[in-house]
Amino acid sequence: MNDTENLMQAAPIRNAILGSAIAALAACGGGTTPDTSASASPPTTASAASRELNGGNSSADLHSKAESALKGKTIAWVPLQLGLPLTDIWTRVMRDEAEARGMKFVVRDPNANTTAGLQAVSSLIGEKPDVIVVHNPNVQVYAKELKRAEDAGIAVIQVNMVSNYKTAAYVGADWYEVGRLLGEAVVKDCGTGSGQSGKVAIVQGELTSGTSIDQMQGLAAVLDKDKAIKVVSNQAANWDANKAHDITATVLQQNPDLCASVGFWSVMEAGAAQALKSAGKLGQVKTYASGGEGKVDCNNVDNGLITKLLSYDAPAQARAIIQLASFILQTGQKPEAFRAANYSTLHWMEKGKYDPALCYDWTK
Amino acid sequence: MTPYGSDLAGGPLRRLYHRWSLKLFLSELLAKRWMEPAIPFALMLGLIAWFAAVTPNYATLANAHQLGREFAEAGFVAVAMGLVVISGGIDLSVGAVFALANLVALALFQIAGLPVPLVALGALAAGAAVGAANGLLVGYLKTRPFLTTLVTLIILRAVVDLLGQKYSVQLASGSHQSAAWDFLGGGALFGVPANVVVLIAVALVGHVLLSRLRPGWHLTAIGSSRKAARHAGIRVERVLFTTYVLSGLLAATGGLFYAARLASTGSDTGIGWEINALTAVVLGGVSLAGGRGTVARALIGAVIVFVLINGLVRMGFPGALTSTALGAVLLLAVGIDVKWAKNRAKTIQKIYVNPTVVELPPAPSIARDSGTAYAENDRLRESEAIGLDQVEGPEDVILDRENRLYCGTREGWILRFSGERFEEREVFARIGGRPLGLAFDRNANLIVCVGGMGLYGVRPSGAVYKLSDETNRSWTRLNDDSRLRLADDLDIAPDGKIYFSEATIRYEMHSWHVDGLEGRGNGRLICHDPATGKTRTLVKDVVFPNGVCVAHDGQSVLFASTWLCTIFRYWIAGPKLGQVDTFADNLPGYPDNINRASDGGYWLALVGIRSPTFDLAMRHPAFRLRMIKQIPPDEWIYPGINNGCIVKLDGSGRARESMWDPGGSKHSTVTSMREHRGWLYIGGLENNRIGRVRLANADPEWTGPSSYWGEG
Repeated sequence: MNDTENLMQAAPIRNAILGSAIAALAACGGGTTPDTSASASPPTTASAASRELNGGNSSADLHSKAESALKGKTIAWVPLQLGLPLTDIWTRVMRDEAEARGMKFVVRDPNANTTAGLQAVSSLIGEKPDVIVVHNPNVQVYAKELKRAEDAGIAVIQVNMVSNYKTAAYVGADWYEVGRLLGEAVVKDCGTGSGQSGKVAIVQGELTSGTSIDQMQGLAAVLDKDKAIKVVSNQAANWDANKAHDITATVLQQNPDLCASVGFWSVMEAGAAQALKSAGKLGQVKTYASGGEGKVDCNNVDNGLITKLLSYDAPAQARAIIQLASFILQTGQKPEAFRAANYSTLHWMEKGKYDPALCYDWTK
Repeated sequence: MTPYGSDLAGGPLRRLYHRWSLKLFLSELLAKRWMEPAIPFALMLGLIAWFAAVTPNYATLANAHQLGREFAEAGFVAVAMGLVVISGGIDLSVGAVFALANLVALALFQIAGLPVPLVALGALAAGAAVGAANGLLVGYLKTRPFLTTLVTLIILRAVVDLLGQKYSVQLASGSHQSAAWDFLGGGALFGVPANVVVLIAVALVGHVLLSRLRPGWHLTAIGSSRKAARHAGIRVERVLFTTYVLSGLLAATGGLFYAARLASTGSDTGIGWEINALTAVVLGGVSLAGGRGTVARALIGAVIVFVLINGLVRMGFPGALTSTALGAVLLLAVGIDVKWAKNRAKTIQKIYVNPTVVELPPAPSIARDSGTAYAENDRLRESEAIGLDQVEGPEDVILDRENRLYCGTREGWILRFSGERFEEREVFARIGGRPLGLAFDRNANLIVCVGGMGLYGVRPSGAVYKLSDETNRSWTRLNDDSRLRLADDLDIAPDGKIYFSEATIRYEMHSWHVDGLEGRGNGRLICHDPATGKTRTLVKDVVFPNGVCVAHDGQSVLFASTWLCTIFRYWIAGPKLGQVDTFADNLPGYPDNINRASDGGYWLALVGIRSPTFDLAMRHPAFRLRMIKQIPPDEWIYPGINNGCIVKLDGSGRARESMWDPGGSKHSTVTSMREHRGWLYIGGLENNRIGRVRLANADPEWTGPSSYWGEG
């Protein structure tokens, strides 16, 4: 299964194609997608997708087809909670992109309350938007509702945190890969031949989040191979920096010779790093995390809180979501005809070594 | 303006206005227990209507179905919290119990692979166990509910977290399937989601339990006052223990359905649910102080909280604002709870007294030289005292064939005096309540009207038995008037039927004089037939019916209307059967008991004497209302009931003579008198003795029992 590592460096955006013919996505970058696959399946909605185009049609035809497929359509977005750099930048970029295409963009913010989130998704199904974008708190809780949404003809795109129920598309990091790459970095710094204790503490997010589950599997797959690595603590801080701080402070007392702390989210891991800093161990104990928090991540790397940060381009993810939505709406296919993933490119960030373009400012 | 002229502005219209008072209706409405959650109920309907108006597809069956399914779990938790709050406690662990049950259910189903009934049993047992721990601590060890359940919450949360760390990933990828499990989570009965069906059942059972059954009443009583409940013999520990177990069980039921519906082991499962439940319960009108509330109220509150959060999320409100809104609502609810609890009774009190117009003609003179039958004299001053300082408040007195004297007392006893000079005092019976009117039936059973209890009997042996404590309910009234509140006086017709008066259904024994300020027809004449055991109201809306006496011929029943200073006659036989006419009116005082005299006339006790001032006040309800509202009760004008007299009426109702004790040194309030073998025995509601005076022209052999039942 690990032939992916070569692909990793190969393409700017790595597209894994699981479902039907969406090869066109590989080239996605513009505002609208080319008309390649529209004729492949019979149209299902009474929208402009019913207008069959061929290669000889005029630009005006193409334009009107795209416009009639998108204009006035609604994209609904249910994040875990707004107010985080990641969710705020997603929301802003998605809104800009959707509105630029004449689509309506609505947000339902459950404020990290799973029950409220579930209600938001349920009620959205009743309101029948054309696309629902969800950020799953865990792999289970929305699963039945997502299926219900698809049964109701609504395309569902999942972002960064996947559900047990796979919908039309997933946009986000390949978390198994993230875990694996973090693991490799840890092994390199703390594993056999490093001369370090080999003690590693893992701070997971919400345990049953798709992010945690996959990241853990990737991480474990690598760490298990090196006999020198000892996982001294593997606990869940549920995305809470304070909890990560407390866990790490305790772990540090029991293992003063800790070599590495791996956190499943950069903001949370910064809390763990503060515990190291308080104990005067920052730098001695290396910190590893993944995230896409823009300026916050850049600051944390710059001031040494996070040694190595595996980043993904959040604004690009948001654009990809809207592109996928646009694509799905223009092809007019049933949502269940799609099972696609659009994995984000991963970028390593280290102090002084990262692409400043990753340091987006979500407040502007 | 003359005090007695018919100069009332508005005339009949005004009288009608005061007779059919809207305020009266309002005050009785407010006093209804089901009115307490009126505001939350209206709020709930308003919220639903509002969201239905502003949210597309809200008022659809599909949406109702979905909302119901999502609401039910929170509903269980709210009922759990509600029960505990009514018992005077609080259960902060409901959210954690919910999470525990969720995890246990999922573990038993996914990992252990148990069949669904066992899974359900396991989850519920986990909840009950936590409830039992809370119950042991709060009920038996008497720890503070707040701290106890807070600690339970923390411990339980840690347990859930630890179990979650261990099993949640395994559970998240579990794939065990079962039709029964799917039914719990997503099934429906007749189109109603399974969890809603169970919630409705729980609500119905809970409602009946709390409002109709002994354990529920015990629970509420403990919530009102733990100490008083203990003194009343309620097993406080056991009831509290059971309440917490129930709470755990209900919260776990919610968790079980949540598990079946979502299969989610998220770490925030049940977090903050105790706050939502508490908000709901308080919002619904369950008092945080305990002792007040119903299951329905907890659920009304839960619906409000649910609809509010759901609606705000739907409207795309920023999440932080939604939480803030909920906080604000909780604050508001607690504020209203405090204010409402404090002021509702006061408001009712303020508008409860509803004076009406009473127009009396000028009273006949009682001046010593007036020459009327009512002219004041000193005849009662010569009375001999019986049981001086041995008796408290003998409202009525009666003698049996063996010349023994009976009276009721403030303590709720019937005393019996016997001996040549009634020097032997014994407690004949202990009934309780406030024994008032007395009468012997054909079999020498002493029948007693007991204020606050009803109609009771005492056998010659002293054994007490109940005859009746309710009559037929009148359906036009908001207040359930079937219970007897203030049975006052009675008499027994030759056929054995017992006729008795209930002075007022709006006031209790301790506030009966306020009824006089109101002057409204709040009382009734009732008949109880011991042969059939049936009780029914004969005459409704009588102004303070007091003394009752079956006429010598047994054809009619005389009954006094105290505030109208009139004696009416209700015909129980003959051509006028069922009709009411006036027997004597415009008395100079307020009539109390009436009893037969040996000469074919009647003795009438006037409990107090009218005054022109009070008569004038009675013509002006607005004045009395202002008085009641604006000055303290001890400064109100009351009917003068501190000094009265005894009047002798002839067989046609005309006053012949009267007996007085000016200054009230021996008989201040006279409420009753009985003629017996040439003596008149005198009772008084507030007196410390029974008096007797020799009657000059009376039949020395005449006794009450022989007059009623012949020589036995």
